[in-house]
Amino acid sequence: MSQSDRPRAAALYESAKKIYPREIKGRFENLSKLATYSLLGLFYAMPWLMWDDRQAFLFDLPARKFYLLGLTLWPQDFIYLAWLLMMAAFSLFFFTALAGRLWCGFACPQTVWTEAFIWMEQWTEGTRSQRMKLDKAPWSWNKLRRKGSKQFLWITFSMWTGFTFVGYFTPIRELAVDIAAFNVGGWTLFWGVFYGFATYGNAGYMREQVCKYMCPYARFQSVMFDKDTLVISYDEKRGEPRGGRKRSVDRKAEGLGDCIDCTLCVQVCPTGIDIRDGLQYECIACAACIDACDSIMDKMNYPRGLVRYTTEHAMQGEKTRVIRPRMFVYAGLLTVLMTALITSMVTRTPLIVDVIRDRNTLYRELPGDLIENAYTIKILNQSNEPRRFRLSVDGVPGLELDGVDAEIPVDGGGVLSLPVRARTHRNNTYGIMDITFTATAVDDDSVTKTEDSRFLGPTP
Amino acid sequence: MVIQEEYRGARQWSRNRQAVATVVWISFLAAAVATMLFFALFDPVELAAAYDPELEIGRQAGYAIGFFFFWFISAGCSAVTAWLVRTAPKRDKQHR
Repeated sequence: MSQSDRPRAAALYESAKKIYPREIKGRFENLSKLATYSLLGLFYAMPWLMWDDRQAFLFDLPARKFYLLGLTLWPQDFIYLAWLLMMAAFSLFFFTALAGRLWCGFACPQTVWTEAFIWMEQWTEGTRSQRMKLDKAPWSWNKLRRKGSKQFLWITFSMWTGFTFVGYFTPIRELAVDIAAFNVGGWTLFWGVFYGFATYGNAGYMREQVCKYMCPYARFQSVMFDKDTLVISYDEKRGEPRGGRKRSVDRKAEGLGDCIDCTLCVQVCPTGIDIRDGLQYECIACAACIDACDSIMDKMNYPRGLVRYTTEHAMQGEKTRVIRPRMFVYAGLLTVLMTALITSMVTRTPLIVDVIRDRNTLYRELPGDLIENAYTIKILNQSNEPRRFRLSVDGVPGLELDGVDAEIPVDGGGVLSLPVRARTHRNNTYGIMDITFTATAVDDDSVTKTEDSRFLGPTP
Repeated sequence: MVIQEEYRGARQWSRNRQAVATVVWISFLAAAVATMLFFALFDPVELAAAYDPELEIGRQAGYAIGFFFFWFISAGCSAVTAWLVRTAPKRDKQHR
């Protein structure tokens, strides 16, 4: 994007100026409202959803179990979370390459909560000009009332946010009862207040500074851009030379472009930039300036789209290619990851077996020339129903288990720690030998897991 | 015509403020990842028991201690890195 070569008033900027984003109505503002409502709605509603008789989305940290709808995941299933995060990353790359900073403008929590906080600011402190006036005015009853109501709304909303956040990790219904009874555990309270305060600070005060100074994605997203990526751009050829004029004036006769220099695009910008200076990394692509400019173009009876979603190729009068190698690579990787995840989840065996060899003794010699090794076997039944398992061992001739029932019952979602001794005749042993333990569900042969371990015997 | 300074020019953070905010935030993210990875592998209750059988720490306390430990370590590392990068002697023109 070409930078405007007009002398910029850079030196005149105040070093710390609060941004008062002006309210605007339009197509993209509606989209943004829709995104904010649905994303915040999801966040606040999800912990209240039930699945059978438990919370549908619960990351039960104290119990080390994660419930996702009908699925119960364990810390051992952590790989799925890593996988999901990778998919999220590639989706982000894909949409960024396709349509620029869609994420920043419409879906990022920072944007979404900031939007909600700005609404509350508008309800209590009024429009942009009213807010600016209020901030400059000396303290009065009116100012106190407006600022106070804003703080009240902000803090209540933040606390509710913190409470909801904690509700993803501890059962929210019980938590609500506890809070009503002023009987909240120390850590629960701490994390609720911590998250609530982070929301308050980020969405109420830091706002665009987070995107500008603290967000790594905002810094590197441009590497995913190419000349076919959708960006929000000011049509300099059409707009310049800019200048104020009456509606009746024939702009061609006056030698003016379409930009009437009303600065509305600057006033609505939540990051306080001038889109007419070209693409800037501060731009989060919220499209507020498009709405602002379109409203003015309508009033002036000029065609819309002086500021619009476009691509660098389109701006140079070339063709925009939506389908390009980059898109195939991102989409391909995403498909592979998704297929692998779904396959793995569908074929997942709801059983984990852990074998820990007793490290205190190498082996024990028993009467009758038997050699014995001791193990602790952990059987995790990851299904939701109680199950019975058979345990067997293999790898050394004549190896038998002692102290194990023929069928071992394990509760649904339960862990059983089983001390087990394996023994065989000393003629069958030779130093360190590899063995395998196998646990199989009695009711379903396909639910089976094999774990490697070692059997130690005397070296003859 | 000077472009409306009244409207232009977002508030800007001082370099120190930027550095502090970035260090705190990025180390927070790193600590979150480290906490997830670490406690996916280790149960804080078992760790505490292995360290001292008399020590009784709940899982929630264990996670919190782990998280702040990781945050403290990564923030320290980030802070020293940021400080060294910012206070490094300037390179002269020849070596630029």
